[in-house]
Amino acid sequence: MELARPSRKTNGVGVQVGDTQVCVVMVGLPARGKSLIAQKAQRYLKWLSIDARVFNVGNYRRKGAAQPTADFFDVNNAEGERVRRAAAEAAVNDMIKWFKHEHGIIAILDATNSTKSRRRWIKDRCDSEGIETLFVESKCDDEDLIMSNILEVKTTSPDYKGQDPEKAAQDFRNRIRNYEKIYETIDESEQDLTYLKIMDVGKRCIINAIQDYLQSRVVYYLMNLHIKRRSIWLSRHGESMYNVTGQIGGDADLSPRGEQYASKLPELVMQSFEGQEHPLTVWTSTLKRTIATARHLPKEWNQLQWKALDELDSGVCDNMTYAEIAEEYPEDFEARDQDKYNYRYRGGESYRDVVIRLEPIIMELERSENILIVTHQAILRCIYAYFMKEDQERSPWLNVPLHCLIKLTPRAYGTEKVVYKANIDAVSTWRGKGSKALHEDPTEETESLAK
Amino acid sequence: MDTLLTAEIAANSPRYRRRSSTFIDGVHDVKDEQAQAMAPAQLYSTMSGRLFHSGRIVIVLVGLPARGKTHISVSLSRYLQWLGVKTRVFHLGDYRRATMGPGVDVPEDYFFINASAKSVMIRQKILKKCREDIYGWLNHENGQVAIYDAVNPLSAGRESLAKEFAKHDVQTLFLESWVDDQKILEENARSVKISSPDFKDMNPDDAAKLYLKRIDMKIPHFETMKEPNLNWIKMINAGDQLEYNNRSFGYLANRIVFYLMNLHIKSRQTFFARAGTSDKTDYYQADAPLGEEGKIYAEKMATTLIEHREAERAALIAQGGSTAPLKPLTVWTSTRKRTVETADAFLERGYAVRQRSQMSQLHPGVCEKLSENAIRKLYPEEVEKHQSDPYHHRYPRAESYHDLAVRLEPIILELEREQNDLLIIAHESVLRVLYGYLMACDAMNIPTLKFPRNKIIEIIPASYQNEAKLIEIRDLNPDMIPGSPEDIRLPVPPSGMVSPLSGMGTPAMGINTPSEQTMTPPMLLKPIRIVKEEHPLSKD
Repeated sequence: MELARPSRKTNGVGVQVGDTQVCVVMVGLPARGKSLIAQKAQRYLKWLSIDARVFNVGNYRRKGAAQPTADFFDVNNAEGERVRRAAAEAAVNDMIKWFKHEHGIIAILDATNSTKSRRRWIKDRCDSEGIETLFVESKCDDEDLIMSNILEVKTTSPDYKGQDPEKAAQDFRNRIRNYEKIYETIDESEQDLTYLKIMDVGKRCIINAIQDYLQSRVVYYLMNLHIKRRSIWLSRHGESMYNVTGQIGGDADLSPRGEQYASKLPELVMQSFEGQEHPLTVWTSTLKRTIATARHLPKEWNQLQWKALDELDSGVCDNMTYAEIAEEYPEDFEARDQDKYNYRYRGGESYRDVVIRLEPIIMELERSENILIVTHQAILRCIYAYFMKEDQERSPWLNVPLHCLIKLTPRAYGTEKVVYKANIDAVSTWRGKGSKALHEDPTEETESLAK
Repeated sequence: MDTLLTAEIAANSPRYRRRSSTFIDGVHDVKDEQAQAMAPAQLYSTMSGRLFHSGRIVIVLVGLPARGKTHISVSLSRYLQWLGVKTRVFHLGDYRRATMGPGVDVPEDYFFINASAKSVMIRQKILKKCREDIYGWLNHENGQVAIYDAVNPLSAGRESLAKEFAKHDVQTLFLESWVDDQKILEENARSVKISSPDFKDMNPDDAAKLYLKRIDMKIPHFETMKEPNLNWIKMINAGDQLEYNNRSFGYLANRIVFYLMNLHIKSRQTFFARAGTSDKTDYYQADAPLGEEGKIYAEKMATTLIEHREAERAALIAQGGSTAPLKPLTVWTSTRKRTVETADAFLERGYAVRQRSQMSQLHPGVCEKLSENAIRKLYPEEVEKHQSDPYHHRYPRAESYHDLAVRLEPIILELEREQNDLLIIAHESVLRVLYGYLMACDAMNIPTLKFPRNKIIEIIPASYQNEAKLIEIRDLNPDMIPGSPEDIRLPVPPSGMVSPLSGMGTPAMGINTPSEQTMTPPMLLKPIRIVKEEHPLSKD
């Protein structure tokens, strides 16, 4: 179907990019969560089918200086200054090449860009190539947050891999001090720049001279982000009566084994805290099976039902088994396997439709801290794809087994995943391409949320 | 005495608004409680009618007169309603006028800190009535957002307002429009105040300056927002910069910031025109070019619009209006050949033309190349479903109007962002949705709005409500005027539907007046037909 095909100009999800290309320029001292923000923004844009790429100047610099000490970042160190300048130039050159030859839409330049002259230089380069710039400054003086970021960096940053953690933290603090000497925040003298300045962990913000829709869309997303450490727990509902009979959709009750899972879920969640107990907010869909699955969780935890978390609407095929669908709507059955992401059930939804309706959920998830989501297979595939950067070809085929809890923790260099199994038997609801089986076990190659 | 007065206010109360025809902006309409219809771009529904778990919110405007507050409130309400959030604007000015009676102004010291006891009493009476309506809306009519359009100049007043709403379990979000750019101020003052008898026979520039001076005298104390404990958004110089203080922003507050990033408060016009016709039977996939007739149409349409704009300007100058040159006109088309080629007449004259791919028409799916009879025969159940909900129903593999509305969101925000006058040349289905947004039409009416080819529609944004005018393109071949040959020939729901044209000249009260006087366009001799209706409560 022609209109659903993403292309550079239409991507079918309500986000439209026209001819603009934007370079998002991160600004801020080290340990202010810049890389995390850059990663997340790229992930979000890709999820919405907008081509985005992060250009991390640190990666270019590491080619010339793999694990430099803090002195390297001293302004008086001429050699260090030269290497860092060359790294910035290489990154910007590659970025411009990417815009030109690969028709990228949004590049994120991840570096400190801490001086006015550096920012001016980037703007001039982009202006001369017809690329818009959007500067994003993360200004944060919250000591606790900076400390937790330093701890995070010393364990995950390639600059400190394999080093003594204590020494690494000390060196990193010295590096920050070197940057502080020359750091210039974005101020009145730069009013001609388009910028977003985030202060006090998002409590205060200034948005200046937004040029077009695409920029406003990026700013809107970034406004919703926070950089505090938190996790997201995902679970399907317990096995339902429809799961047992192999029917899709509907609003069935839990099976006896599904009830067992519901009873065990509180214990499973406690286990996932790994000793650090804290309350969660629980989100369910409005369907009986997710509400029933969440009902034994502590009463004092806040629970919200979201219509937007309801299972993908299978339209006329609701309540049918795959064999029945293949029998009654053979063309549809085939069309769906051809392009599962874009296939829309008659009178129902496609995965692409689901992604659009999940937008408020994703925004709310980004704004929130610790959330447990109890929802359905297709919805989990979409949410999981967002956090784990799964592409559209693969995400609708992921195996999302019943009766296990998945804990995701977004980190600066990727999302961490831990799986807790309830060890309660359940049918498999995974289905391979073309299969009409009532229940089918995933193959060895099937990618699974629970692996 | 008091009850009598209250009754009188109630009788004049802005709550009891008439329902407009689709020809008048419906942004202030009181929607039918029975109608459970979804809003044009609503993604899902909830039992309570409240979306995004955002609870109930009052958005409190802050700012001196002539800062575009009313325009911001109305535009925001339009956008939120479009998303399905039940929103209503409460203009304190309406309550002031209803209480004071026609032609009576508030006492001189009304806005003073040390106002006389009598003025304070009037002030409280007005505030009380407005506040009661806000609670009525939120508590008994399932309202989710109330927009409270007033000056709210003092920090102490704002703090206590937030406390009062919090007691009723309602969150508060302040929205200030702060302008210190003299040029913007004078332009606003000019566009709002030019018609007032006070400034008759005055040079418009002087009138604007005098008006601004009067505001300063009338409201001598104004404190811009700095409160660290309140939720606020400050729009500086018509959107050049936004600043916010986020104590507890929810999804909606962030969404509002997103919208405001695209809003400006400068006035400009929007025109809608159809694309010219093609010689060939135009299928969606064929994307045929303009035929000879189509080229003639494109030429005539361009001439008509350009002459119209010049004539309007001349008329304005004759009335003593601004002699400033016309705003530049930008033309948007879809990427479909017929719209692009229709715009060539403008391109040749040096106007800027932009192609927007998301403005492609409704995808017809299986209905492409099928006659109405064939559709009825092949898909009888689909036709039935379509009749019961022409807005949300999709024919197999086709798009619904709802899909189109969601796909057009960026266009809608770009539309708000555009500062030049704008001509949109598009397929009828796209015009319907965009018109539906600008004029706040009910979703169910959108699929049957009609845009005959011999009319250019002009939308004039007044701050209180938008107005639509029709500009006739004369001497067109009558064959090309009605319908659009490449439309999906879907059965039009029977009666009770309104089109932007059927309301012409009829009072707006009768929404259920059947409008089956199908579009035999009045080929009148009058050069330009202008339809303009004054809202009974329109400002000043």
